[in-house]
Amino acid sequence: MQGGGRVRSRSLSVTMRRSAMTLQNNMAKNQRGEAAPSSRMTGRERQMGGFSLLLESSDDEGPEEVTFEDSKADARRSMKRALDTARREKELLKEKRRKRQELFQEQKKRKLLSAEVLEEIDSTKQEQSHVKAEEEAEPEEVEGRKRNWKQNAARNLKGNYTVTTVKQSTLASSQLKAAEDFLHSRMYGPGSRRTTSNEMLSLENKMGKNKSAAVQFVKKNWACQKKAKAEKLKKTWIHMQQIPSS
Amino acid sequence: MGEFKVHRIRFFDYMPSAIRAMAFSTRTERLALARADGALEIFNFSDNYFQEKVLPGHDGRAVEALCWVGPRLFSAGLNGEITEYDLENLRPRYTVDAYGGPIWTIGVNSQGTLLAVGCEDGTVKMFEVLKERIQFQRNLDRQRGRIISLSWHPSGTLIAAGMMDMIRIFDAETGRATHRLVVDRGAGASKSKEVVVWSIAFLSDYTIISSDSAGKVQIWDGLNGTLIRTHLITKWDVLALSVSQDESSLVAGTSEGTVVQFQFLSSTVDRLDKDWVRTRTFKNHSHDVRALAHTETAVVSGGMDTQLVVRPLLDKVEKNTRESAIRKVSFPHRSLVCCAKKAGVLLFQFPDHLELWRLGESDGYGKPGGSLPVKRGPEKLIQLKRKGEDHICCSALSPCGGWLAYSTVTSFRLYRLLNGSISICKVSKLPKDLRPAHQLCFSTDSSKLFASSSNSSVVVVALNEPECKYLGTLKAKYGCRQPVHLLSASENGKWLATANTDCEVHVYNLDKLKLHCTVPVYGSCPTAMAIHPTTSNLVVVHADQQIFEYSLVKKEYTEWSRRLQKQGLHSLWLERDTPITHVTFNPKNPAHIIVQDLFMFCIIDKSLPLPEAKNVLYNQMTLRSLPEPDRVLHSHGFKICKDFQHLLCVSLLEDHSLVVVERPLLDIVSQLPAPVRQKKFAT
Repeated sequence: MQGGGRVRSRSLSVTMRRSAMTLQNNMAKNQRGEAAPSSRMTGRERQMGGFSLLLESSDDEGPEEVTFEDSKADARRSMKRALDTARREKELLKEKRRKRQELFQEQKKRKLLSAEVLEEIDSTKQEQSHVKAEEEAEPEEVEGRKRNWKQNAARNLKGNYTVTTVKQSTLASSQLKAAEDFLHSRMYGPGSRRTTSNEMLSLENKMGKNKSAAVQFVKKNWACQKKAKAEKLKKTWIHMQQIPSS
Repeated sequence: MGEFKVHRIRFFDYMPSAIRAMAFSTRTERLALARADGALEIFNFSDNYFQEKVLPGHDGRAVEALCWVGPRLFSAGLNGEITEYDLENLRPRYTVDAYGGPIWTIGVNSQGTLLAVGCEDGTVKMFEVLKERIQFQRNLDRQRGRIISLSWHPSGTLIAAGMMDMIRIFDAETGRATHRLVVDRGAGASKSKEVVVWSIAFLSDYTIISSDSAGKVQIWDGLNGTLIRTHLITKWDVLALSVSQDESSLVAGTSEGTVVQFQFLSSTVDRLDKDWVRTRTFKNHSHDVRALAHTETAVVSGGMDTQLVVRPLLDKVEKNTRESAIRKVSFPHRSLVCCAKKAGVLLFQFPDHLELWRLGESDGYGKPGGSLPVKRGPEKLIQLKRKGEDHICCSALSPCGGWLAYSTVTSFRLYRLLNGSISICKVSKLPKDLRPAHQLCFSTDSSKLFASSSNSSVVVVALNEPECKYLGTLKAKYGCRQPVHLLSASENGKWLATANTDCEVHVYNLDKLKLHCTVPVYGSCPTAMAIHPTTSNLVVVHADQQIFEYSLVKKEYTEWSRRLQKQGLHSLWLERDTPITHVTFNPKNPAHIIVQDLFMFCIIDKSLPLPEAKNVLYNQMTLRSLPEPDRVLHSHGFKICKDFQHLLCVSLLEDHSLVVVERPLLDIVSQLPAPVRQKKFAT
């Protein structure tokens, strides 16, 4: 009796508070000019579960009796539902990932050569890499591995053509290039405040005693190919003109 | 109509290469110069700054530093190799890989026993200088960061190395790095970029002088590792430093093209508080100065504008004399153009290819000094690329235009030109005695090829269509080791004259294939020579502008030559600073000798009187203004024409027209890389 009474009193105070809140909400919504808050009520009803009977009827009615077990069951149910949704979402994601991975594998398989061709290349590569490895003794091993791959100057595929690289760049030449790039970037790179030779000559011209035309007054190297083509055309035209006359 | 029709040629696109490093040897008075394409040049400073030897370049031999060890020349480059050069055969003797990545600097200790190189991986490697080779000794302490410059202390115990953002001092015996001197970065925008210590010098009083990319020259105390003074000399980089032998003067070269001199002077009368004081500034370059050498009397500088400038210091030489004049070497002192006189075809030699051009034609008549209409323009017939990575050392074209030969350091190639020099085919069967040559020459009737080889000898080969036959080797007397740089065959095919860099001139009899005579040695190196077609007199011009005429038949100097020596040449002739590079003759007038240097060509008329000291030398313009009868009274034998400038070749064709190949300096300057941007008032 006591516990129930207390619940009753609690639920009463809760309902009082809730009805006060809904009153305020209604007033605010009337000011804003909103529609009847019936839909809102239904949402809250869903959450409250056991208290719905209470709010369907008017605010003056007495509080409904709700047992402790009921509310515990409700809470457990809602938790289970949440866990269920989480698990479902995880599974969905897993499914998506698996499908994408399969798609990629399929694409990769399509891109690579067939297995037999690969085998053939592999066999020739093994032979060649053995020969090359014997010929050169390089101190660095990482580079050596890379080099074995690159050094296959000739691969014989099925047929009578060969695939060759144009020029073998060695470690020394790549270091040389890097050093030259460093020097170039320090002297001519960003922040080096440089101008062109043409400008320098123009300045000298401007400040000198006898002022004359700029050194590169006309850009002579424009449309080289077009000019060469025109020259050729002119020659053939003259030739054609001369043939009927001769 | 004037006397000669002149083919004025400006389509030789000769482009010199930037100067990268230089080293001066005080013992032998020679300057070694390294260019960006790997070519090396040796200048003889005691012989009117003549360019004695040229070693052709190599693809990928990016030389960064040069070093003389006694009479031996070493270079180090970004390809990671140290190369010793054979200066008698004009080729690299051997290369040693330092295994440290690109090498930035090289330096020898004052005893000449150890060579130190600074590498990209941060090590300073020591090599022992042995008699025929160098041998790796050990590495000094490896540093984090590349070693850009290094300098030995004169005692040989310490090495100062310039790196990025700092200078390290090493003990040469233990190899430990003792001091670390931190170099300030520049102000403003350059605070984020590392400062590169481009050059460093270690003096005998333990002072270190460094120059860096922030434009500073800093003076440090090497014993304590502290900074004494900073001089900010430019807004751009200070790329090179050079200290004089007596350590009283120092020069620094900047990216602006200025060379700043510092001297060790005291500000007051007493000599106790001496300090490095900035004294002079020279602006002789338009682009970056990358290499400097401080000789006893002059400052030698070179850089991206490809010119070598020798600036004598006026407190060491007498003012207003020939020694005090500034010298600029912009073009090579040898001929790069070969003219086939009978065919009217020109051969241009570039480092990586050869070009064959046919001259244009003109019919009209005109006044002297005027230009004639061109009926048919010049055509480029063939462009021949070289094979391999070595640059072309020498090339030649036969007078009939039917044979073309070129040589690199490792190979020799001969080609046959057919159908009026349009089609070309290689002659594959060459005699094996025909090794790579320093100089090539065809005989006038195009039947023989002369190729100079080692020990001043010349190989003679007969030119035949399917296979060339080796005829013989002309050997000079025993002991001649220097390379032959001049070859001249006579028109009647009887004589061949050779000159080597030891100032020896030998004449061979081609009928017997033996040495005929040796011209008495004159102290200066011959720069050009030729044999007269009818009188068989050998005319030799030397680097000090002296001219000699030697009769091959009588084996003695001719009478005209003795008269010239007795009277002496005109002072203005002797003061010219570029050597004569070509001597030729006029078929119509046997008394004429035509000589050419960079700024003028001169027709020497032996029948006219020689100019005396009081006469005006360049008198062609004044003579033209005089009436006819007076001209004879005032004219002398040296008729100089300065109408065409920066001459690379002057030649007389068989149809009596003159071929003049010019290369205006402005065309070269307009194609140079970017100079620094300098803000000038009102521009």
